[in-house]
Amino acid sequence: MSDATSPWGQSVTQNAPEAPPAAPDLTPSRPFYDGKLADLYAIYLRHLVLMLLTVGWSRFWGRTRIRRYLWNHFAILGDRFEYRGRGRELLIGFLLAVLMLAVWGGLLWLVWIYVFHEKPIASFGLLDMFWLSVALIGFPLAYVGQYAGLRYRLSRTRWRGIRCALAGSAWGYGAMASFLIFVNALTGQLMTPVVSVNLARPRISNVRFGTLPFVFAGASGDIYGRYLGFYFLNIIAWVVAAVIIFGAIGGTIGSLGISSDDVLKLFSQFSLRTVLIVAAVALGAYVVFGLLILPLRCWWQAYLFRYLVSHSRAGEVLFATAISTRQMWGFLVLNYLIVVLTLGLGWPWVMHRTLKLIAAELWLYGAPDGANIRQPTDRGPPFGEGLLDMFDVSGI
Amino acid sequence: MASHARYYDGESALVHEVSVRPTAAELVIFRLADAGIVARWPVGELAVLGDTAHEAVPPVVRKGFEARLLVDDPDLRRQLAAWVPQLAPLALSPGPVGRRVVAFGATLAALVGLFWLVVDYGSEYAAPLLPYSLQAKLGESVFEELTADKDECHGKGGLATINDLANRLAHAADYPHDITVYVIEGGPVNAYTLPGGILVVYSDLIDQAKDSSQVAGVVAHEIGHAVHYHPMKGLARQYGVELMVKLVSGGYSDLLNTLTSGGNLLLALRNGRAFEREADATGVALLEKLELRADGIASFFEQMMEKEPKDMAAAAGVWSSHPPTAERIAATRRPASGKPAFSDAQWKALRNVCK
Repeated sequence: MSDATSPWGQSVTQNAPEAPPAAPDLTPSRPFYDGKLADLYAIYLRHLVLMLLTVGWSRFWGRTRIRRYLWNHFAILGDRFEYRGRGRELLIGFLLAVLMLAVWGGLLWLVWIYVFHEKPIASFGLLDMFWLSVALIGFPLAYVGQYAGLRYRLSRTRWRGIRCALAGSAWGYGAMASFLIFVNALTGQLMTPVVSVNLARPRISNVRFGTLPFVFAGASGDIYGRYLGFYFLNIIAWVVAAVIIFGAIGGTIGSLGISSDDVLKLFSQFSLRTVLIVAAVALGAYVVFGLLILPLRCWWQAYLFRYLVSHSRAGEVLFATAISTRQMWGFLVLNYLIVVLTLGLGWPWVMHRTLKLIAAELWLYGAPDGANIRQPTDRGPPFGEGLLDMFDVSGI
Repeated sequence: MASHARYYDGESALVHEVSVRPTAAELVIFRLADAGIVARWPVGELAVLGDTAHEAVPPVVRKGFEARLLVDDPDLRRQLAAWVPQLAPLALSPGPVGRRVVAFGATLAALVGLFWLVVDYGSEYAAPLLPYSLQAKLGESVFEELTADKDECHGKGGLATINDLANRLAHAADYPHDITVYVIEGGPVNAYTLPGGILVVYSDLIDQAKDSSQVAGVVAHEIGHAVHYHPMKGLARQYGVELMVKLVSGGYSDLLNTLTSGGNLLLALRNGRAFEREADATGVALLEKLELRADGIASFFEQMMEKEPKDMAAAAGVWSSHPPTAERIAATRRPASGKPAFSDAQWKALRNVCK
């Protein structure tokens, strides 16, 4: 896609076509991001220094500073976003989540003392009980935290001085997400379009910019055909990848004249050679996997993303994107590799790349009717993201 | 002075293209289009939200109100900062970015090095200082975890015998706490030490020992670990390195742990080899101090070598938690002189500890 042409074929620079008075204004525009990677690194490295000095307790303030930078260097229709969250709000949220776990642990301890009379059930002790229960409730709680975290971040986000918000129940979202993901697992991932659309709906249609609600008009039926194509291509790709990997291993063993006894010996006697061979096989498998499976996944994810964005609107403002499979690969795979290969020091680069991608690939059609969008009376949650921090899924 | 700025009224999402004019007592904000005044903010109530290090255009506000004034033009920001003291933050410069990156990067590298040193050497001195009651509690909970599905041996005579030897050895090293030895039925042919002076010996080791001096040698080796607080030091180092990885990765990413656990593991194994050498040396020294036969450690290793001629630890190199067995035999070889650690009756009781 050229810089000057939007997904709907309109020129950015051209004036809105002359239309009857009743026709909506669909002038296209894109967000604007003017953050500098060096600035971001200066903020991030300072954050890491403080993290080491405070043994991690400065992370709430560090995160807040990074958000303030990213938000304020991102603009729509010439107006920059503002992030007005505070580190202490995140700290209190975290402490509340710790308190919640402590109360849960206390309750289990009471049950342990008064119901089980401190007797382990088939060597299943108090600690096992605690961690199993946390793992069980942790799954839905991570989704609750995700939704509540989004609510917190939106409530601290302003555009044109107006606060954003997220309506709806985080607990309801957590319950629905857990149920859908469970059912999807039972049906061999065939419910993925239902899961994707139903999890996207509350996250989009419950967003408010001031008094203006967002609208999501997607339906899973629209994307099922494409998904089934992806699903079966994916199976074929896995089979091909497995044949290539096992064929390569078998061929190597055969050509080097290694007997099955040698192979057994290699694994029964642990040595540096075993480690190197396992690492080489894993790398080979990863390359085949990366060439066959990941592009397919990126193709589906790019399609899904285009669908979700183009079925969303904020009042009269429509959204669209023409994000490609290659760009999705850069977002999903390359970003992951950057973080892993730089031992985490690539985070600012990943954030920078992501915002540049959004600025380049998100299109807005029309402008909001500013006079009719009012400041909401609700100020959002007083604290933020405790559960997200607890389960380490918050990112930036 | 009149220049462009944007004004958001805080009540609606309208954008007003405005100019500003500071007077002695007020900042007057008026529309560009018709010069109509949109707001008059008393100078004493002005404030800047955020700062120029993090925000491209920090908003100017009137305290207690939602409205915002955004001044894009850096020159105008500087003028406002000069005229109105409350707006001074608008003109603050965070300094050249290159210098900040280098300064924070160098500080971070120095801190990582320092943290590593603190973890590596500090735990040597700090770990034993943890209140002993806590060490004991930690050891007990680990013991319960590790042996939950195993049967403990309760032969009184055997337990008394092995506990007596362990405590005599510990007292000979001036270790100020009691040692508790547990015997677990079955294999592997192994023994280990937990925080809080807890020794765990598997009955297969006792059954397969050629004579009592081998068991005494193994117990002496484990007492070597206990009196040097190796289990606590090992835990402290492992926890310290994990914490550092978490902090330096920004505290966000667990996926990094997978990659960095290799380095962490190597550190743990390196510690492991150093600890084993120290425990071997201490074990032999304690047996000699009590004038007991001190050839058991080397002969136990020799027996192990006979079963598995290839030296697994030597083959694994840096990946081994133990030094090469041949090296350990050479370091611990002693003549078969001295008193036996157990009387015949005690040795018999120990052999029957699980019966």
